[in-house]
This record gives sequence, C-alpha cells and structure tokens, in this order.
Amino acid sequence: MSLYIDVNYESLNKYREELCGDKVEIIRSSDSVVVVLADGLGSGVKANILATLTSKIIGTIMSNGLDIEEAVNTIASTLPVCKEREVAYSTFSIIQIFNNGEGYLVEFDNPAIIRLRKGKLQEFKTESREISGKLINEARFTVSPDDLFIMISDGVIHAGIGQTLNLGWQWENVSDYVQKTYKKDMSSKAVAKLLLSACDSLYANEPGDDTTVVALKAKKPIKLNLMIGPPVDMGNDGDIVAKFMNREGKKVVCGGTTSQIVARLTGKEIKTSIEYFNPSVPPTAEIDGINLTTEGVLTLRRTLELLKTCVSPDSTMSDFLMLNKKDGASKLAKMLLEESTSIYFFIGQAINPAHQNPEFPLNMGLKFKLVEEIAGLLSQAGKHITIEYC
Amino acid sequence: MLDIYVCVGSSCHLKGSYQIISCFQRLIKENRLEDKAILKASFCMGKCTNGVCVRVGDVFYGDVAIVNAESFFNEQVIKQIEAEG
Repeated sequence: MSLYIDVNYESLNKYREELCGDKVEIIRSSDSVVVVLADGLGSGVKANILATLTSKIIGTIMSNGLDIEEAVNTIASTLPVCKEREVAYSTFSIIQIFNNGEGYLVEFDNPAIIRLRKGKLQEFKTESREISGKLINEARFTVSPDDLFIMISDGVIHAGIGQTLNLGWQWENVSDYVQKTYKKDMSSKAVAKLLLSACDSLYANEPGDDTTVVALKAKKPIKLNLMIGPPVDMGNDGDIVAKFMNREGKKVVCGGTTSQIVARLTGKEIKTSIEYFNPSVPPTAEIDGINLTTEGVLTLRRTLELLKTCVSPDSTMSDFLMLNKKDGASKLAKMLLEESTSIYFFIGQAINPAHQNPEFPLNMGLKFKLVEEIAGLLSQAGKHITIEYC
Repeated sequence: MLDIYVCVGSSCHLKGSYQIISCFQRLIKENRLEDKAILKASFCMGKCTNGVCVRVGDVFYGDVAIVNAESFFNEQVIKQIEAEG
C-alpha cells in the first residue's frame, strides 16, 4: 500500500506577542513524512528559540533514520537553560508516517494526538519510557487511507480558560468538536483552520497562550497529468499525446493549440464553451477523455495567483472557497491543490506565433516561468511534481 | 442554421472576445435570430491578426473589434442570414 500524507498547520500567537512559541517542522523524505510540534517554555523570543531548536533537531535526526533516544539526548544537552527558571524546556509531539502505512508517534508533555478513523475517535495505546530523565509516550500503529491526525499545543486545550470557560476547552471537548465538524473530503488545511478559529473565538480574539493545530490526513495517492503547450517538434506530437493519454490518473490540457492537437490525435471533437464565468478568464472547452481543457497563458496566470493566495500562511477559508468557482483557472487550481497528490507536467516548448505579435503583451518565456512557479508552489505544498519538457 | 464562431484564444481574448460575445448574444436576441444563427466559441483559429477572429458560416473575418462589433453584425451577419434564407 502506498499513502500520501496531506499536512498543514496553523498557529495563533499569544496576545500582543510578535513571535510564536510553538513551532512546527514538516520533513518529507522519499519514504516518510516526519512532523514535529514543539512548544517552548514561556512565550515570545525565548519560547520561539527553544521551540525552533527542538523541532529542527528532532526533525533532522528522525528523518535521517536515527531513533528517538538520539533526538532526546541531543536536545537535553543542547537547549540553552532559562535563567529565571533554570531549566531548558520544550514539550513536543512527533508523528512519523511511512509511505507503506506504518506510523510512529512520540509525545513529551504535549496534549495527546487526536486520531479519527472514518470520523470516529480512536485513541492511541501508548507506552511510557524514560529517556535522559524525560518520560515520553510512544506508540506504533498502522495508518489507513482517510485517517486524520490532529496534533495540538496546550494553547488549544487552554482556550478560553478563566474567561469564556472556567476550565478551558478540555481535550474531550476538543475531540468532540473535531468529530462533530468532520467531513470526509475536508483538506488538512481546512481542518486546522476550523479548529484554530474555534480556539480564537473562545479566547475572544486575545489568545492567552500560543496555540497551534497540525492536521495530517492520509490519502491514497491521486495522480494528475497536465499537458501545456505543443511539443517543439511537430513530428513528436503523436508520441507525446499517446504517452500523455496512456498515463494513469486525471488529465488536463492547457492551451488552445495544444487542445486542438490532443483532440485531433485522439480523434475526438473539441467543444469550446461560450460561457464566461469570469470575464478575465477565457472559457474552457470539452474533449472526451480529458477532465479539464482550458486556454493557456491567461488561465495559468490566474491559476498561479490563486495558488499563491491559498498556499500563503495568511490564507483564509474564503480564499479556499474561491476555488469552487467555475472558471478555468479556479477549476485548475482546485484540481492541483485539493484533488491530486502526484502531478506530472508535459511542457511543450513550441513557440506560439500568436505570442510573437508585438501587440500581444505576454511573451513565451513568461509562460514557462508561470508553469515553473506553479510547480514550485505545489511542491512547497507537499505534492510530488515531475516535469517533462517536450 | 448559420454558425458564428468567435475566437476565445489568448490573443483574441485580450482584444475583447468577451465583449464581442456579449454583444452578439444581445443582437441575436434583439433581432430574434435564435432559430437562424447559433453563436459558438473556438480556441485559437491560427490566424491571429489585429482584431478578434470571427468565422460566419465559411467566411473568416480578422478585424472585428469592440468598436465595430455591432455594425459588423448588422452588415455581415444579417446579410448572410438573409442570403441563406
């Protein structure tokens, strides 16, 4: 079994603090993803430094295949000691999920990780042991597609403490809330944002502590193939279209000429829609066997804008809702960001005569740059990207 | 039935395909030509020129722009419809 892990996190800073004392490190390697959430002692600069050191050290050690003892020992002897409290301290939780479905978790003083299987809470059976004087909880488990893991810092379970709620929002309340709001197709980003915004409300927008939510969602890999631009040598059109059509997964064609080539070589009719959902994005078309057919450079430019907004740390729920619009760029951005995990780009390098017209304000170089920027953003969002120039 | 194709490729789009399509849609309605002409979009026709590419039946025009869209429709399109029918 091969799994893809969709990971996203969101943090709130303690009221009036510029830095967050919680730190998340996500390290993807070819066989696993390691996620570390560290919560440094105190708040502000000091906490931020402790949490950053802790998460970086653990992440680097674990993703290189060394074990937890090594990581904890290193932290114990590395962290600077706080002058006031005379301790070096940062709590942490670690989750490592291998592509083959094996999972491993370690917790040290952080609230327990919440696991939902098919939307129902399934608590971990952890075992405790002592490493360098620190009592840690460990568990090994198997991951199935659609499992959801939520790592939280103590700011979540303290939300509203002494203000809106006497005892704060306890672990049981948080796990109830997550189960109630669970929807099968929610992305990890949406889960993290939703839970964090509930915390923010309980804090009346003045968080009493740094608050962080990390959501991990296991998915079966979903493949998407894009063909952008006609191949530089017309003689290769047939081979490349055949290769594109034979690939497993969904298919998207971008570009007017490119779609005409695909339609001609597959013997299908191309039907261009007359409907403008957004006057600045040219209409899409339909080709039998292709999931989405769009115009080229203008649609890609808008897609890049949408992806930039959504991938940015400041993105909001409404940015993601924008992806539900029906114009070609929104549809493409949604397929790339939310509906696929491995993306294969065929980038044709033929020069379009239409773009050589001096009145045409965009040049070809820009189109390649757009696609490369899109690929970069997607890879930053954790997608597996392959590019083939043809 | 007369087919009218308006190009919505990148180059034509920037020259006003959207406005020309809206204009033609309005004129078809105003002149009650719904059962005589059908408006369709097309990706790049490979003849990028100074204006938006339009094909009426088998005749290609490369100089339709926002400013002359209405007069183009009244002259060329209506003439062809009358000739057909």
